[in-house]
Amino acid sequence: MRRALVLLLLLLPLPAWSLTLTSDTLWEGELSFSETVRVEPGVLLTVAPGTVVTFSGGRLEVAGRLVARGVRFSGQDWEGIVLKGCDAATVLSDCTVEGARTGIFVGGGAPKLERLRLEKNDVGMEIKQKSAAAIVDCRFSANSRVGLFIKDEAAPLVTGNLFAGNGKFGVYIYRALPRMLSKNVFTGNPTGLMISHYGSDPRIEGNRFEKNGVGIFVDRAARPHLQGNWLRGNETGLRLYRRSDPRVEGNNLSDNGVAISVAYSSYPVIAGNDFTGNGSALVLEFQSSAWEAEKGSVVRQEEVSSVGAFGRGARNEVSEAERRPRVLDGTVDARGNWWGPKETAEMERTGARGNPASIADGRDTPTFTEGGKIYPLDTVRFAPWSKVPLTADLEKLP
Amino acid sequence: MYRLALKTKRLLCLSLLFPLLAACPRGEESGVRGVLLFGEYPLAGAQIEVYLKNDKDRSTLPFAVTSTDSEGRYRLTLPAGRYYLIGKKKEEKAGRVRMLMAECPGNPVETDAAIKEIPPFSLMEMGQSGSLIPDPGTGVSGRIVAAGAPVAGAFVYIYSEEAAGLMGPSYGEAVQTGDDGRFRIDLQAGRYYLAARRRADGSRMGEVQPGDLNGAYPGNPVTVPRGTVSSLGDFPLKTVDGGQRQERLSQGKFTKTKTFFSGRTVDQDGNPVSDVYAFAYLDSRMVGKPSYISDPSDDSGRFVLYLGDGGTYYIGARSTFGGPLEPGEWVGTYDGRPDHGVALSKDQSLPLGDLVVREVW
Repeated sequence: MRRALVLLLLLLPLPAWSLTLTSDTLWEGELSFSETVRVEPGVLLTVAPGTVVTFSGGRLEVAGRLVARGVRFSGQDWEGIVLKGCDAATVLSDCTVEGARTGIFVGGGAPKLERLRLEKNDVGMEIKQKSAAAIVDCRFSANSRVGLFIKDEAAPLVTGNLFAGNGKFGVYIYRALPRMLSKNVFTGNPTGLMISHYGSDPRIEGNRFEKNGVGIFVDRAARPHLQGNWLRGNETGLRLYRRSDPRVEGNNLSDNGVAISVAYSSYPVIAGNDFTGNGSALVLEFQSSAWEAEKGSVVRQEEVSSVGAFGRGARNEVSEAERRPRVLDGTVDARGNWWGPKETAEMERTGARGNPASIADGRDTPTFTEGGKIYPLDTVRFAPWSKVPLTADLEKLP
Repeated sequence: MYRLALKTKRLLCLSLLFPLLAACPRGEESGVRGVLLFGEYPLAGAQIEVYLKNDKDRSTLPFAVTSTDSEGRYRLTLPAGRYYLIGKKKEEKAGRVRMLMAECPGNPVETDAAIKEIPPFSLMEMGQSGSLIPDPGTGVSGRIVAAGAPVAGAFVYIYSEEAAGLMGPSYGEAVQTGDDGRFRIDLQAGRYYLAARRRADGSRMGEVQPGDLNGAYPGNPVTVPRGTVSSLGDFPLKTVDGGQRQERLSQGKFTKTKTFFSGRTVDQDGNPVSDVYAFAYLDSRMVGKPSYISDPSDDSGRFVLYLGDGGTYYIGARSTFGGPLEPGEWVGTYDGRPDHGVALSKDQSLPLGDLVVREVW
């Protein structure tokens, strides 16, 4: 029978520790560190329930395994917990991580992170380097920048989490593809979910976005599939910006100031959704096939993603062919949606050539001016429309 | 009295100059000439860039530049000295842009009293992202290990020469090891240097930190024959030690000198921003590897950017280095001049005031 070497650390707190753990270790009680603690590859650090670990600098860096249940990790001016390529044998559950630059950083691997509270960090959790971490039933709140940051081709499972009151974004997906992002709740964030840059094409399904500034923001040629989500009471439910072409299907967008805002050469497919009780259902701004054909390519060359850090010198990472719209006919496709009883009655009355009050497009504002030149604003293809509500089953969402 | 002193000074200067002038060969040119190839064929319209330093990413402006003629020949007169030559050509065929490039295998090239004939060398095609277009079935493979165990997720970098310390942007795209620590890099036939790193934050680029794994392949340089994937076996990495890193940071471009800029990195409201690096570029485009980098700014936002020499530098600031900007980074430039440039003399220290940085999302 294998016996692990167990080091019991009792009668603490211990001040100003800096150490590397080279054999299996158990932490209990109260511990404080002012420098980085490293867990070497092959080494298991177990933190007993009820333990309080406080850092006043450095980080807890785990290249081996970490098992922590019911633990509080806190501090000031500390870097947070760094999990380096930890596999599913690393499990953090029912823990609180607070006050760090990045509460938990996951670089690769597939750790299990369950029922955690990530609070008052700059970034609650950052997932990178193709990590397949499982983030389940956690609460991300009051982090000053981002609750959960998913980057660098990471493919985590993200389900059952609450993202509430974070400083800028509840979740930010940057060039990554979560293998699942569903059954989460986003509330009280300036932006609930940001999906940005070419290559960010996740399926976002069955989430609830309530009372955010923007529920979901899709930017810079991202092409997610947004299906079966509930977007309610947001200032803007869904904002599509700079060549973003998501498929928006089967969502319920109700009681938002604007349900969907489309701008700068974004050509989504919007079908099978319910729009009821919004200030406006669909608003087009600076959206023109003519502008895109004339200037889209040039403007994209000047975007942040395609230039050096200080704004000069080309760095072409995505070809223009990949970002060019597939169809440019001056319309945004929003056929087959339920627009609400009053709106549908208006559509029935005025027909496919009418100008529905809930849609603001080129029928209302035929042109816009940019750089001293006038461009026609696109219009919305809204016919045919559904004659019945489509998303009643979404009431069952968390 | 003043005039006499001036004359005396002039005579003194001439007398000092005379031995130097006498030592210079008169009526003879020094420099380089040769032929650039692509494969076996002469390459017309290519560029030869001449550098004084062996700086891998060539972020500094070349000392001299010339082009090849219709037969691929070039000729440059240069003062006697030691130079690094690079051949380049960007060409477009049928809508496809390709970049050809190679370092002169004879670098550094010494010239003295004559035009030196450089043996012909062939440019190689780089991919769109700077990666090489490999020869069929050609490359290297191996396994990254640390303390005898395979290292998953390490990046393996390929360099064509080692003078820059196998740091900075690699010659081709970095390759990442699999779960078993194994890697394979497809290459053109040639001679290469390999380095590998695994950073705690999983990054592909950036300064290695204590605790990261780092190493150069012990068998460098590796010769890769055409049509062969050379097995390198185990390629060991070591954990970066804080003391070693500090020692390295006190050398090279991080050396503390009497020539420096100082300043503060602040946000748009004037609040100090810590952990931001100040960069000095000699190239006004401010791309590639900076010539000098400061330590991260302290809690008050203060930084000191030490320089090796006087000159005009173009100043930027960023919270990380290497790679494109990512959301959440802080970035800014010195805006005392529209081109972000500022001049100072050797052994001069110059306060830059506040560099305003903004968080990019």
